[in-house]
Amino acid sequence: MDSSGGKLETSSFSLLFELDMPIEGFSSNWAHCDKISTYAARMIGHNRRDSLLYSNLFSSAFNELLETVFRSHHGGGNFVCRVLRDGDTDRIELTIPCDEGLGRFYTTSVASLSDVDREEKYRAALLSDAPLTPGIGLMELAVDYAAEFKISDFDGRAIRLTTDLILEESDVRC
Amino acid sequence: MLKIPAPAHSLRFDENNQEFSIIGALRPQHDDDMRNCIEMLRDAVSRVRGTLYINVKRLVRLNNIAFRALASSVVAAATERSDLKLVIVTSSVVGWATKKFRPLMQVNPRIVVEEYDADFYPGQAFVEDSDIIGLLRTQTNMTWRHEQGILPRHGLKPGMAVADICCGIGDFAVLLHKAFAPGRMVALDHSRPSLDYARGVAEEFGISGIEYVYGDASEMLLEDNQFDFVTCRHALQVFDRPELILKELFRICKPGGRVYVTNEKNSHCLGEPRGESIQWTYNEVAKILSYFNHDIEIGPKSRRLMMDAGFSNVRMESFMVTNMDGDPQDFADIITAWRDLFAGKMSQMRGDDEAFTARFRQGFDDHIFAALHPKGYAGWPIWVASGTKPL
Ligand SMILES: C[S@@+](CC[C@H](N)C(=O)[O-])C[C@H]1O[C@@H](n2cnc3c(N)ncnc32)[C@H](O)[C@@H]1O
Repeated sequence: MDSSGGKLETSSFSLLFELDMPIEGFSSNWAHCDKISTYAARMIGHNRRDSLLYSNLFSSAFNELLETVFRSHHGGGNFVCRVLRDGDTDRIELTIPCDEGLGRFYTTSVASLSDVDREEKYRAALLSDAPLTPGIGLMELAVDYAAEFKISDFDGRAIRLTTDLILEESDVRC
Repeated sequence: MLKIPAPAHSLRFDENNQEFSIIGALRPQHDDDMRNCIEMLRDAVSRVRGTLYINVKRLVRLNNIAFRALASSVVAAATERSDLKLVIVTSSVVGWATKKFRPLMQVNPRIVVEEYDADFYPGQAFVEDSDIIGLLRTQTNMTWRHEQGILPRHGLKPGMAVADICCGIGDFAVLLHKAFAPGRMVALDHSRPSLDYARGVAEEFGISGIEYVYGDASEMLLEDNQFDFVTCRHALQVFDRPELILKELFRICKPGGRVYVTNEKNSHCLGEPRGESIQWTYNEVAKILSYFNHDIEIGPKSRRLMMDAGFSNVRMESFMVTNMDGDPQDFADIITAWRDLFAGKMSQMRGDDEAFTARFRQGFDDHIFAALHPKGYAGWPIWVASGTKPL
């Protein structure tokens, strides 16, 4: 999904929201995912075409990312979460403390999102009885929200996961 | 850390309507956290016959843990109860819901996902007609002359948080914004083409402070107690269940704030000369609208509706838009648009015969004649009602 010619390469984004906290703090309470996603969605939604619809969609997408990080991180360090905007595109940049194994989890999860059968896989995962796969949130974003992902800066202790969303055009409403 | 209440949801089972509703936010950490919800759903399944409605119209936030738990018990119910149909009712306003639930239809044909507002109230097609846009604009220009002076008497002051619900093409919100400089202005409608037009109007006038929101006025996602002044103009009369809209206007209004509605009684449109023909035609307007489930006669009933909805200190007055308010041609244009809608499209859809349609049209033509006649008089009465939400 690393679209080299796309938005992910450009840098005319302005920062709307930033949160920088020890990962232990973030992961001490599950409710943080909902609170942060909802708070950010309200804060940055007011000047969108449709503030309420936008906030619902952004909160849902952002929450899935936060829940993914909540479940899949490793070691100490800070969890940095930035939301940026360039026109219609909203970018969520997460710096996630992790070791090599988890770094691989993120890299392979993101890579598999360009598979042609990703939608089938996602729907099957959602309806199966097996434990929910930790990559489900990323799958949902790719399938239902047409998100684009990029992974960079793995330095052995943290990776950066960048997600670009165009919520008002991704036709999430089917 | 952040001052937002923990995810909260409520569950309701209405045995009479065989409806299980989930409202609010469901973002649990563990499958186990869903136990209560799933048990209630199972219990609901065991008590119904025929069809169980699962209402998620106001389920605003749902994570994958919760979705999966819900989905698998719906699928299980469909498998175990071959006599049962399960209808999941979503809303287009929530944004993600229909897309998320719809694949369940492929798992079992007795699971049906319906977006309740996809094919909305009976009159939606009429209000989205492109001819109506021009009509609404001229109407608002003419009513604004009166309402600009009326609004302060009903409590509107500069700096207030204002919502215009059923805003249509949004020109009232723009006029209000220019004249009363609200601290916040939200304009909501359930017609996407009208909202698109509204955004264009605001842009054209260089107004950037209006939040345009797509939504159903009878089931809004706006939070409680937010607005000092809530307006809803010419809309209770086109929706088939006006009391539901009033309940919502009440809910989003702050305690101590006021709700302001305007409505017509079309059978009281009048004109001279040719008064009789005009009167006959507008009586027929009321009938044809009621055939399409619109009560265009609400105007004088507003006082009761407001009081029944719980408002206190209800104030009411009426005004008459006439051919003597500025250019008579403007009023004649409004009547022409009414003629083409009521004696045109609507009459045709009802299957009226030619003789009837000709007479129906004639009354409008006579009204236009009265409006443009140098000694004529033509009028369109409108009722304003407002009330306070008690503290
Ligand atoms: C006759 S128009 C009036 C529009 C505007 N208030 C005006 O005065 O020009 C009625 C409007 O109500 C809207 N409407 C009717 N029922 C609605 C509902 N349940 N939710 C949201 N909008 C609704 C229609 O889409 C339409 O734009």
